[in-house]
Amino acid sequence: MSRILSRRTLLRGAAGGAAVSLALPPLEAMFGTRGARANGDMDEPIFGIFFWANGTPWHAGHGGMQGGGGYPDLWTPAATGPGYAPSELLQPLAPYAVSVATGLEPKTMVPDQPPGQGDGHMRGFMVALTSDRIRPDGFDHPSHTLTALRPSLDQYIAKHDDFYGSNVPRFRSLTMGVSEARFHDYGHWNAISYNGPDSLNLPVLDPAQLYGLLFDVPADTGQLENRAHLLDAVMEDAADLRLQLGAADKIRLDEHLSHLDEIQRRLELSVAACDDPGPPAGAAGDLLAKTEVMAQILARGLLCGMTRVFSFMLTSPATTHVFSNLGVPDGMHKTCHDGHWDRVRDITRYQMEAFAVFLGVMQQTVDPAGISLLDRMLVFGTSEYGEGWQHGNKEHPVIFAGQACGAIETGVHERQTDGNLSMAHVTMLRALGIPTDSYGFNGGETSEHLSSILAI
Amino acid sequence: MTNDERRASGVLVALLLATSGCYDGGESRDPGELATDTGGESGGSDGTTDDDDPDAEPPVIDPGAAVLPRLTADQYRNSLEVVLGPGQPVVALEPDTNPYLFFNIGATSTTLSELGTQQYEEAADLITQDIFGDPDQRLALVGCEPAAPGDPCVQGFLEEFGRRAYRRPLLPDELLRWQQITVDLGTPDAWEGLRLAVAGMLQSPHFLYRVELGEPDPDRPDRLRYTAFEMASRLSFLLWNTTPDDALLDAAEAGELLDEDSLLAHAERMLADPRANAAVQEFFAQYFDLGRLDGVTRDVDVYPMFASSLPRSMRTEIQLLVDDFVFRRDADIRGIYGTRNTFVNDELAMLYGVDAPGASPIAFVPVELPADGPRVGLLTLGAFLTMNAHETEPSPTLRGKYVRERVLCQTVQPPPNDVDTNIPESEGEAETLRERLERHADSSVCAGCHSFIDPPGFLFENFDSIGAFRTVDASGFELDASGELDGQPLANATELGPLLAQDARVGRCVATQLFRHAQGRLELTRELPIITDLSERFADDGYRFKHLLTTLVRHEGFRTLAREEEGA
Repeated sequence: MSRILSRRTLLRGAAGGAAVSLALPPLEAMFGTRGARANGDMDEPIFGIFFWANGTPWHAGHGGMQGGGGYPDLWTPAATGPGYAPSELLQPLAPYAVSVATGLEPKTMVPDQPPGQGDGHMRGFMVALTSDRIRPDGFDHPSHTLTALRPSLDQYIAKHDDFYGSNVPRFRSLTMGVSEARFHDYGHWNAISYNGPDSLNLPVLDPAQLYGLLFDVPADTGQLENRAHLLDAVMEDAADLRLQLGAADKIRLDEHLSHLDEIQRRLELSVAACDDPGPPAGAAGDLLAKTEVMAQILARGLLCGMTRVFSFMLTSPATTHVFSNLGVPDGMHKTCHDGHWDRVRDITRYQMEAFAVFLGVMQQTVDPAGISLLDRMLVFGTSEYGEGWQHGNKEHPVIFAGQACGAIETGVHERQTDGNLSMAHVTMLRALGIPTDSYGFNGGETSEHLSSILAI
Repeated sequence: MTNDERRASGVLVALLLATSGCYDGGESRDPGELATDTGGESGGSDGTTDDDDPDAEPPVIDPGAAVLPRLTADQYRNSLEVVLGPGQPVVALEPDTNPYLFFNIGATSTTLSELGTQQYEEAADLITQDIFGDPDQRLALVGCEPAAPGDPCVQGFLEEFGRRAYRRPLLPDELLRWQQITVDLGTPDAWEGLRLAVAGMLQSPHFLYRVELGEPDPDRPDRLRYTAFEMASRLSFLLWNTTPDDALLDAAEAGELLDEDSLLAHAERMLADPRANAAVQEFFAQYFDLGRLDGVTRDVDVYPMFASSLPRSMRTEIQLLVDDFVFRRDADIRGIYGTRNTFVNDELAMLYGVDAPGASPIAFVPVELPADGPRVGLLTLGAFLTMNAHETEPSPTLRGKYVRERVLCQTVQPPPNDVDTNIPESEGEAETLRERLERHADSSVCAGCHSFIDPPGFLFENFDSIGAFRTVDASGFELDASGELDGQPLANATELGPLLAQDARVGRCVATQLFRHAQGRLELTRELPIITDLSERFADDGYRFKHLLTTLVRHEGFRTLAREEEGA
C-alpha cells in the first residue's frame, strides 16, 4: 500500500498555505495533534473491550450438570469488596488491580421461533456486547447466520454525543484482534464490534495494517485536500440513487455515505499526525507476543489522541484456535465440547495472561504528566458465556480494568448472584459520563449499576 | 397440478421423508416471505413431472424485488481490470461475508464498514496514482492527450470510462459532475484532474454497487424487467464474476439482451471464455464451502501424511473435478458424487494409496480409483472428509449434516434450547465415537435430529480426519461404516455416491443454490415455482451445469423483478 505514500515522521503545521516541517524531540512530537489540547487529560477517559473466547472452566455455579464433575470454581474470588484476593484464574491480572463482577447472566427473552436462539454462544456474545438479544428476523441456526439488533457497546459510546462531544479524534474507534482462527467464515463470528444489524467492524488482525492505519499518513496536504474535495462529488453522485432504493438498501447506502463524511473529516485532519513509532517487527510468535505487538501500536495511537474507543478481540467467539503451545491437540471449541476441563482451565489462564500483557502495555505507556493510559481507561474484559462445555450462560465473566479517570473503583469484587449482565453496561456508561437511565433490551433492561465498582 | 398443489405435495413428500421432528419441510423457518427450500418437492418424482406434457400450464413466475449488491472483493478486483486494464496493484479491501454460503448474499445484506469505505478511498487513490503517474499507461487508458480540463479529449474519455464504470452511459448531470472535477482539481495539469475524476467514479456507488432496479415491462405492467444494460451486468457477474466488457455494453446499447435468443448467444460466447471457468469455480467453491479448508491444521505426529500444502491440494482436486464435469465433458453434474475418476498430485496419490505416474507436488494427473476400493465420488475425497472432521477425530455429525444440507438442500433443525449438545461420555466401558453418538438415538430429544443426520454420516467412518482410509479408530476399535439414507440401508460410502448421482434432489439442490448465488439472496416462497421450473429443465438437459446457466439467464425469473419493494 505504501508505494506512493511517504511516511510522516515530522510534525507539520501550516503557515501561509505552505507546509512547514518541524523536527521536534520525540516526546513533544507525540503531542499537539489537535491544536493545543494536551493529551492525557484526566477528563478524557478511554473505553475499550477486551474479548476472549469460550468463557471460563465450568463448575457447579453454572448449573447442575456442570457441577457433576465436582470441578472447583477457579474464577470467582472467595471474598467480595475492595482488596479481594484474586482467584487462581484472575491471578495474572492482579498487578493491575482489576475489578470483577460475578454472578451476572443475560436476561434477554429467547423467542421460540426461529429455533436455536438460546444457543449459549450466540445469545451470550450478543448480550455481552450489545445488551440485547440476537435479531430474530433472519436468524438461522443451521447455517449459524445471526446478526445484532443494535450497536455493540464500543460503537454506542463512540457515536454518543456525550462521549466525544465536538472534540472528535481522528478515529471514533478502532477494532483489532489477535488470533486468526475462525469458527465460521460468516462475518459475525469474526467481529465483536457492530454498528447495527448486518453492519460489522471486522478487526484488523495484521500489525502492519494497524500500524499503517495509524501512522502511515500521506505528507502532501494539497493532495489530501483534493481527495477530501472529491468525496463531495462522490456523495452528490449517490444522492439520486438513494431515492430509488427500498428501505433496507437505503439504510445500507446511507451508512456508507456517512462513512464518507468521516473519511473526509480525517483527510482534512491529516495536517497533523503522531510521532511515528516505526513499523512493527516481523511476524509475531504466539498469542502473547502478538498481543503485545498490537497493544504497543494501539497504545501509541491512544497516547497521541488518535481515538478513545477500541475493541480488542484476542480470540473470536467459539474460537477454533488450537492452543498447541499448551499441549491441547484440538481447537478450543471442540475441547470445551469434549469436556476437557483441565485443558479449558489452562487455556483460560493463558488468555488471562494475554489480557495481562495488554494491560501491562497500557500501564507502561505514560504521558509527560505521569498519567498512564490505564489510569484513563475502562477496559471491559468479557467473553461469550459462562462456560463452554454446556454453553452455559450463568456466571458470565466480567472484568473492569483501569480506573476511567477516577470513575471506576479498582480492585473490587462485586457479587450479584443471578444478576443482570446489563448492570455491567449501565456501570460503564455512567462511568464514562453518558447519561443512562436504563440499559438492556428485550428483557435485559435494568437501571441498576454495580454500586461498589462505580466510583461516581 | 397447480403450484399450490405442487407445493403442498412437496411438503407432504418432505414429511414422509422426515422420520422425526427434525426435518423442516417448508415455510416454517421464516414467518415472512423467505422460503425454506425443501429439496423434497422433486424428490418424490423423477424431477420431470409435467415438462413433457405439451398441455402443461407454464409456471407462474412471480419474481422478488430488487436488491443492491455491493461488489465482492473478487468482483471489485476483476472489475478494475475491465475498466482500467490488466495488472492493477493489489489493494486491501474489506473481507466478504457469506451468510447462507454465498458472498453474493453477504453483498446484498451486509453494510460496508468505515474501514472498508476508507480502503475504497485509498484504493482509488493508489490505483489512479499508479496509472496516471506513468505517461505510457495513462495515454493507453485515455487514448489522447488532454490539453485543458474541459477539452474534447477529457469529455470523450469521461463518457467512455463512465460507461464502463457505471455499466451504462453517464447521465448528463453525472458527466457534468466529473467534468467539473477535472476543472476544479485540474492542477498542476489536466492529467491530474482526469485522475481525480477517475478516482471519484471508482468510489461512486454506481460502480461499487450493482444498481439493477428495472424498468416497466411492456408485456406485464404489474412488474418490472431489467434494462438491457442491467442484463449485461447480470450476465457478466454471473458468468464472469466481473463487470461487463465493452462488447456486452455495446450489445446493450444496441437494444440486445432483452430477448432469449440474444441472451443465449451472449451466454454461449461468454461460457467459451476462460473467465467463465473462474466464475463457475467460484460458485462451486462457495457451494461446497471449500473455504473451510483454509484454516485446517493437523498434528503431523498424529497424521504423518498431513502437510500444510495438503488442504490446498484437496481444494485443487475438487476444482479439477468441477472443470472436468462442467467444461471438459459437459456431463451430468450429479456424477461428481458417483465417479471413480479424480485428479491427484503426489500427496493425494499417497493419501489415497493409488499409483499416479507423472504426479508431483504441482502436477495433478487423472486417475481412476480402484473399483474394489473405498472411494467413490466427491464425498470420499480429501476435501469433504477433512473439512468435516476435528483435529483428533472425524465428525459423523458434521459429515451427515453436510450430506443433508449441502448435497440434498435439506434443513436440519438446531438442537432445542437448553439441551445438552455434547457427545455423551463413555459410560464405564470404552466405546467408539459411533457408539457414543448412537446413544443420541436413546434420547427422545436428540433422536429426532441425530437419526436424520448421523446415519449418512456413519458411512464415512472408514476415513480419518485427513481423509485417510482406516479400519480402526485412534483407540484401536474396529469401525463400522454402515449407515442409511432415508431408510435405505447402506454398507458404506461407496454405496451412497452412486445413489446421489441418480437423485433428483441433488439436481434440484444445485439449481436452488445457483439461484441464490445469482440473485444474491434466499428464494422467496413465491419463487419456488421458478426453482422447480429450473430444476425440471435442468433434468431435461441431463443435469449439465452449463445448460442450467444458459437456462437461468434466459429465464423470466432472472430477467424480471417485482415492482414494489418487499413489505413496502
